[in-house]
Amino acid sequence: MTHEQIRTLLPLAASGSLSREEMRSVEQHARECQDCRRELDVWGSYARGLSHLPQPELPAHLIARTEARILREQERATEKQSSFLLFGGLAALSWLVNFLTWEIAQSITGGKFNLIGLNLVAPVPWFLFSFLICSTSTIAVAVSVKHYRGQGRSL
Amino acid sequence: MSPFGASTRIPIVMILAASMDSNSSGGVVSAVERLRRGDLNALSELMRPYQHRLYRFLLRLSQDPVLADDLFQQTWLRVIEKIRQFDARRNFDAWLFSVARNLTIDHLRRRRDSSLDAPDDSGMVPSDRLRSSGSDPLEQLMDFERGERLATAVAKLPLIHREVLTLRFEEELMLEEISEVIDVPLSTVKSRLSRALENLRVRLERP
Repeated sequence: MTHEQIRTLLPLAASGSLSREEMRSVEQHARECQDCRRELDVWGSYARGLSHLPQPELPAHLIARTEARILREQERATEKQSSFLLFGGLAALSWLVNFLTWEIAQSITGGKFNLIGLNLVAPVPWFLFSFLICSTSTIAVAVSVKHYRGQGRSL
Repeated sequence: MSPFGASTRIPIVMILAASMDSNSSGGVVSAVERLRRGDLNALSELMRPYQHRLYRFLLRLSQDPVLADDLFQQTWLRVIEKIRQFDARRNFDAWLFSVARNLTIDHLRRRRDSSLDAPDDSGMVPSDRLRSSGSDPLEQLMDFERGERLATAVAKLPLIHREVLTLRFEEELMLEEISEVIDVPLSTVKSRLSRALENLRVRLERP
């Protein structure tokens, strides 16, 4: 290796980041070249300095605060999951009730129940009307549950 | 203000002791395994040996104690979230630091909307300026080794240089591990480390 090539390796040599073979070449060259020896000493001082930088102060109760945050996040995730299950369950239940009610309404009315010129037990009006009822009631129940849970937590 | 200035220092012996204690007893491996099985008690055991190192690494990268504190907490949240994806044959240190590093970089990108490998202000190649330095480097280095000035100069380096310096010299990771943490080829780690050292020296020897 040439003098210039060795010179480019000196920072890495000082940081212990060269292969054994490269390191041997650097050491061999440094024994004969005063300039490179001096440079290697300088880089060595940098490496030592970097290994002993002033250490930062650890914030108070870092682990305790991290644990508390993890617990909070986990509670929030569990709550979110249970709310999702509750909301899904309520929606499914309300549609099941709706479908059964429709069957009963059809058998009672014989498939015809006109109001303001609209057959309410026909599939489209019935399901449109039911959609509004089901959605509103499911949302109302979900909001109430959430509110109730929030009150429980604040107590 | 430098985040490293005017602070109570953690004795390096404490950091080494915490790290050696966890590694020698195989504590980390067992805690990781328990955490993978969903045992949250293992988390405290895992956090304790890494708290100084991880916080220091986050602080070197973010240069903001409040942000480093928040990122520390986020890192462990992410660890819990991703621990099942961690390959037990891999080095946990490298994986943990890579999680922390990715969170920091994502955060800094969102906040600053700037390049993380921004060049320094002069546009010169660092090695060119080294040759033009007139003062006695050895004499200056006696001063640099006292630490504060060196820490201030490190803090002014671009993030991609700070991270390789702290991973190599403070965390004492091997180049292969650094390559894993910052997700670049080994040759890039080498050139980045060399460049970071040259850049640092230029800053310190600037008249």
